[in-house]
Amino acid sequence: MLSFILRRVLGMLPTLLIISAICFLVIKLQPGSFTDQYLEDPRFTKETAAAIARQLGLDQPPVVQYFHWLAGVVTHFDFGYSFLQNRPVVTVIGELLGWTVFIAFFTLVFSWLVAIPLGIYTAFNRHSVGSQIIGFLGYLGLAIPDFLAALLIVALVLRLGGTNVGGLFSPNFIDAPWSWARVLDLLNHLWIPVLAVGLEGVAGLMRQMRASMLDVLGQDYVRTARAKGARPQQVIWRHAVRNAINPLISLAGLSLPTLISGTIIISIVLNLPTIGPLLYDSLVNKDQYMALTLLMMSAFLLLIGNLLSDIALAWADPRVRYA
Amino acid sequence: MRHKGILALTLLLAATLSTAAAAPKKVSGYESLGVVAGKSGGNLTLALGDSPQSLNYYGAIDNNLGLISQQLFDTLVEFNYATYKLEPALAESWTVSPDGKVYTFKLRQGVKWSDGEDFTADDVAFTFDQIVENPEARAGDAETFSQGGKKIPFDVVDKYTIKVTLQKPTPAFLLQLRASFIMPKHKLLKYSVAGGAKPADINNAWPTNVAPSEVVGTGPFKLASYTTGQKVSLVRNPNYWKVDAKGTKLPYLDSLDFLIIRDPQAQVAQFLAGNIDQLNITGAQFPDLKQKEVSGAPFKVIRSTALFGSPPFLAFNFDAKDAALAKVFSDLRFRDAMQSALNRQRMIDTVYNGLASLPGHGVAPANKAFYVNTKSSLGDFDLKAAGAALDAMGLKDTDGDGVRNIAKGKNLEFDLTYGTDSSVYPALATIIQNDFKQIGVKVNLQGILAKNLLSTGLSGNYEAILHAFGDQPDPELRRPIWEPGGALYYWHRSLQPANDGGTPNIAKMFPWEKEIYNIFETAAVTPDAGQRKALYTRWQLLFAHNLPVIPLLKPENIGAVSNKYGNYIYNLGVIPGYNPVPLIYVK
Repeated sequence: MLSFILRRVLGMLPTLLIISAICFLVIKLQPGSFTDQYLEDPRFTKETAAAIARQLGLDQPPVVQYFHWLAGVVTHFDFGYSFLQNRPVVTVIGELLGWTVFIAFFTLVFSWLVAIPLGIYTAFNRHSVGSQIIGFLGYLGLAIPDFLAALLIVALVLRLGGTNVGGLFSPNFIDAPWSWARVLDLLNHLWIPVLAVGLEGVAGLMRQMRASMLDVLGQDYVRTARAKGARPQQVIWRHAVRNAINPLISLAGLSLPTLISGTIIISIVLNLPTIGPLLYDSLVNKDQYMALTLLMMSAFLLLIGNLLSDIALAWADPRVRYA
Repeated sequence: MRHKGILALTLLLAATLSTAAAAPKKVSGYESLGVVAGKSGGNLTLALGDSPQSLNYYGAIDNNLGLISQQLFDTLVEFNYATYKLEPALAESWTVSPDGKVYTFKLRQGVKWSDGEDFTADDVAFTFDQIVENPEARAGDAETFSQGGKKIPFDVVDKYTIKVTLQKPTPAFLLQLRASFIMPKHKLLKYSVAGGAKPADINNAWPTNVAPSEVVGTGPFKLASYTTGQKVSLVRNPNYWKVDAKGTKLPYLDSLDFLIIRDPQAQVAQFLAGNIDQLNITGAQFPDLKQKEVSGAPFKVIRSTALFGSPPFLAFNFDAKDAALAKVFSDLRFRDAMQSALNRQRMIDTVYNGLASLPGHGVAPANKAFYVNTKSSLGDFDLKAAGAALDAMGLKDTDGDGVRNIAKGKNLEFDLTYGTDSSVYPALATIIQNDFKQIGVKVNLQGILAKNLLSTGLSGNYEAILHAFGDQPDPELRRPIWEPGGALYYWHRSLQPANDGGTPNIAKMFPWEKEIYNIFETAAVTPDAGQRKALYTRWQLLFAHNLPVIPLLKPENIGAVSNKYGNYIYNLGVIPGYNPVPLIYVK
């Protein structure tokens, strides 16, 4: 098991290196330059543009820029400088990472907690009216983009006279010290993004769970367990669900990169302080090291997610471990 | 003996006067704008379109940073809120030598930085010499504040006197000063060359995670806290140097918050929810909010004519890659014909919901100091006349396909470049395309990101373009745009000088361009206000008649403000030297 993990981790390094080179190339292939955005400003002259480009090292050939960045990363874990924020990339990401993980975690938990029981229920009651309704709602959730769902919820809240229409806190709680009132205010805001993003995941997860549950229910060992007279509860939870959940574990691993890219639009619409809009901004403005670092993070999370789900699978399913 | 007495009395009087002159600035005379005496206290929350990139105004060119800086720092001179005339601010008075070259500023005495230090001439000299004129400062202004390749010297005469010596008369100099916030030497010295740092180090001062007590200004507010991506909080600067007509200290507000909200719709939602108290909106958002106001919502939607703000125009590339098109585009008869095919009223009504008016030529109609009425030159919307004018030029449809021909087998058709991600450009482009089609001119729409419009224009890689440049109170401030051969005069790029800052290619100018060029060169060094006005009047008439670009319309400013507040004057956004927020009070 240990050598399995070690091999996987070592294999990630060349992959990441190649990904970083490709990402940098793609960023560089975009037309225009970082300083373009300033051109309409009367305070901005060509001399200033040249000075900024020189300060940021943009006057050097792209290959030099790339290796300079890479050297920084390798030697002292310096991921470069954010042109837009005038600060090292790492500190900017660090400030937003907490909220990003927090919101993503709640969303993930929410969609799993809702989707898995529903998936199991619909698998066991395939033709009931309840299943039909759940299925319909699931499709609806899948069809409505998360940002639209968020806008609809916001419109509804506004209509009902609410003030929690964006952000994570009411204005007066944003920089207040932690207290119960602040926690309540947070929860009062948090349910909108969690519901809007979570609903989209629910439908997919639910269908997956249902399909794999149906698959498992037809298996010999479930029939055997039933024939042996095991209680239905035990059959479902001990034998069927544990096996049916395997494919979902792989799915969970793949969902890690959505931490960064999955919530761009909804973060903009709901004004959430997450990393998503940062990626969008850095790509649009050619804030190259920020964009590169975020894309690398995304790739790294994907690899880590894969690794984690492989480990989890190995734990849940002995066949993977001994294969 | 008697003489001595008089002398003593005079001295005493002079001393009294000079202490009286050191009093804080009294802000009064805005009754016409609805300003009344307010009361102290309360909070105002505004929206900020994105996180500020730094807290050092000169470290990044960034509108959001500008909005915050405006509340933290002051300039030497500022605008009157009603007339846009220049008034004393940190400089209490000034004299200009008869030849227009030496400016002597008497600074306001008794002004303190928000940390209690005295504001002196050293701060002013430091700000210009070490920051504004530092070519490595990303948001500095070294270009404007240098003459003949040298920095303009700001000399400290005494603790409260600054002398500036120019190489040539520069009548717009005071207006340029209006755009430079004065920074505290005692806080920023260590980031400057004088303090032993490298020139580019100034950009690293006051990053967004700086301790709020480090950011020190003379402005109405001081920084209290910044929560990444969410909120910037300011509190009243108790040392602020302005009082209202009754002598009450300004600002009235205890605190001013900026909520960081990127999405315009989300801003409106937060405004409707009461989390934001004032918001600038667009013509497209106007009907919805106005309707809510009429049906009793607790806010007002206010429209005001605009001096600042970008009027859209249609420009044809005189140097288009297609030589036949370039020839047609440089022909005034063609541009005149195209102007009469522009349905300005329809654009104003449908695209701006009526919240726009006819434009000036380089100067906003609201600009009392310089505007000349050129409305008659805008012509009327008349497709028949436009068609006839094109016929007269010999541009006729010879092959019967409904499109006029430039030459045999070659249609009169061109690409119109416009910004797709804007609420107005796509609609404007479509109206133009439709109307031009009716007179046999084929327009192919070429959409790009609005933020790339300028760089596309400057690259010369377009045939016709929809774009907008801002109006300013003094044409001198817009010289790079409207002076033929100027850095932004991109519809006739072949005039650009071979080297930056060199003399443009005068031989290639049309006679009227040459005249405009001479006007700008002369007006820039003419100290006499009346003569300058006459020169710029001539320029506007030449512009209106020869149409280097065709201005379309001038949008109005629309703001929405909660009924809780009094003394609201339209929030212009980042206009240094124009900050009416200290007058706002909670009713």
